[in-house]
Amino acid sequence: MTTLGTLSSRALRNGAMQAHEIAVNVPTVTIDDPVAKAVRVMAVGRLPGLIIVDDKARPRVVLPGTQVLRLLVPASYQEDPALIRTIDEAHADEFWSELGDRTVGDCLPKQPSKPVTVPAEATLLEVAALMARTHSPLVAVTSTGGTLVGAVTLDRMLTSLALSGIED
Amino acid sequence: MLALAIFIVAFFFIATEKANKVAVVLIAAGAMAVLGLIPGSEVFFSEHEGIDWNVIFLLLGMMIIVGIVKQTGLFDYLGIWAAKRSKGKPYRLMVMLMLITAIASPFLDNVTTIMLVAPVTVVVCNRLRIAAQPYLIAEILASNIGGAATLIGDPPNIIIGSRAGLTFTDFLVHMAPIVVIVFAFFVVFTRFLFRKSFQNAPQHIDEVMALQEKRAITDPKLLVRCLIVLGGVITAFALHSVFHIEPSIVALVGAGVMVLVANIDIGEVLREVEWPTLTFFMGLFVMVSGLVHTGVIGDIGTWAVDTLGNNYLAAATSLLFGSAVLGAFFDNIPYVATMAPIVEGVVAQAPDPQTGEALWWAFALGADFGGNGTAVAASANVVAIGIAARTGHPISFWQFTKYGIVVTALSSIMAWVYVWLRYFV
Repeated sequence: MTTLGTLSSRALRNGAMQAHEIAVNVPTVTIDDPVAKAVRVMAVGRLPGLIIVDDKARPRVVLPGTQVLRLLVPASYQEDPALIRTIDEAHADEFWSELGDRTVGDCLPKQPSKPVTVPAEATLLEVAALMARTHSPLVAVTSTGGTLVGAVTLDRMLTSLALSGIED
Repeated sequence: MLALAIFIVAFFFIATEKANKVAVVLIAAGAMAVLGLIPGSEVFFSEHEGIDWNVIFLLLGMMIIVGIVKQTGLFDYLGIWAAKRSKGKPYRLMVMLMLITAIASPFLDNVTTIMLVAPVTVVVCNRLRIAAQPYLIAEILASNIGGAATLIGDPPNIIIGSRAGLTFTDFLVHMAPIVVIVFAFFVVFTRFLFRKSFQNAPQHIDEVMALQEKRAITDPKLLVRCLIVLGGVITAFALHSVFHIEPSIVALVGAGVMVLVANIDIGEVLREVEWPTLTFFMGLFVMVSGLVHTGVIGDIGTWAVDTLGNNYLAAATSLLFGSAVLGAFFDNIPYVATMAPIVEGVVAQAPDPQTGEALWWAFALGADFGGNGTAVAASANVVAIGIAARTGHPISFWQFTKYGIVVTALSSIMAWVYVWLRYFV
């Protein structure tokens, strides 16, 4: 696994890359963290999404950035666009303050979808196809034990594709 | 006995919610098919020993119609309008929200009505800085009472109407009068029932007045077209027996017309259909067909007839109060789907059609009003409590049940008096 902004020289030299070789370390949150912290982690890390892990560091949910916004929008508005239109500007600007001290777990659906993960040895094609199928710009890379070893971001994926031989 | 054992195990998992109820009914239906306990292909083609497609397609048509109506923003407009009119007075706010719910629920299903009214209720209560729970509970109770008035207002009525061959007008004539009486009583009673929960909040009314309800309706022409089609569908329901058209056909044609006039993407409309609910109904009908096919239902019906003899008032009383009690502790949909063929057997022995019909009304009233009994008694309760939890106004099982059980007891007693006076005196 590499740090953000660099690709392993072995990966570039060999051409055939695996998920763990292009994965980067990303900060994570747990379901007990406040939503405000989750948003801060994503903003400071300039991440395209968020990985929520359990107490054994196994990915529990992988949220694309747009779905992190779902954590912020109060539940009473989420399924009702007509109701959202009735909110005056003064309150609309502060919609997130209604969350109070609610945690990530409080705002997730009761039965969240299966986390978007790949094993460490997954090929670039597997990762790209999974991103495309799940509309997720972030994929968690896991070890055989299911623990998080890193993440592949969309940016990272495109950079890897560009460097590994996509011709102009 | 094998069919009964499978049914009891499945019912246990459905009632206790220990497993996904759709998966449970599909597994149970599959087990009955593999073991030869259901009547083979008849399960798809027999009206009384298989899947009741009239119920499935009536629900499908209404889900499509409601899915389009809810996009008009009408309920958000009405909810905010009512809140502004209440001027922050809690009882007045509760009555107005209950009225909107009770007037809508006979024509839209209870779950949808709650999903339309609950979010705007939460927003208004948040603005007034008052607890939303009493208002949400009152709306649930109002929707279960109001939904009892018509054939399409509550899923148990759809099942009973189809099984008994009762029309939309039959429901209006026999159920609506007692529903109006019970609802009027309930409106007065809420002043006492929630007396400790009312918080005056006139100081925050400015924040409610800032809500822009007119912005909820972006396309007034769409709203008018939808209301015209909905009015046409309700009229067609009222006349379906005159023209010998099944209610499911009325709902499907209405859904088609609604899609045409609304000019909405069909894919978007079909996403509003609750496919798991329809699948649950299908699996449930297959399970019940196993009980009918193996004679379990017939045996229970014979036992009931032998026990009750010719005392049909006792039969109506048992059905009404029995359904209210059992309907309160189990989801009233599987309960009614299971009991309907048993009631059909008892009705077949009735000395005249009027007495037979009285049993159906007693059954419907008990099951519908039983839906208010506990937090898990009806789908609308479960959905509303879910919305309450997600919006930071959690309602515990007992918080709901302490109100629901009182309303169920009183409404069932009123319904029994009605059945007795109207059909047995």
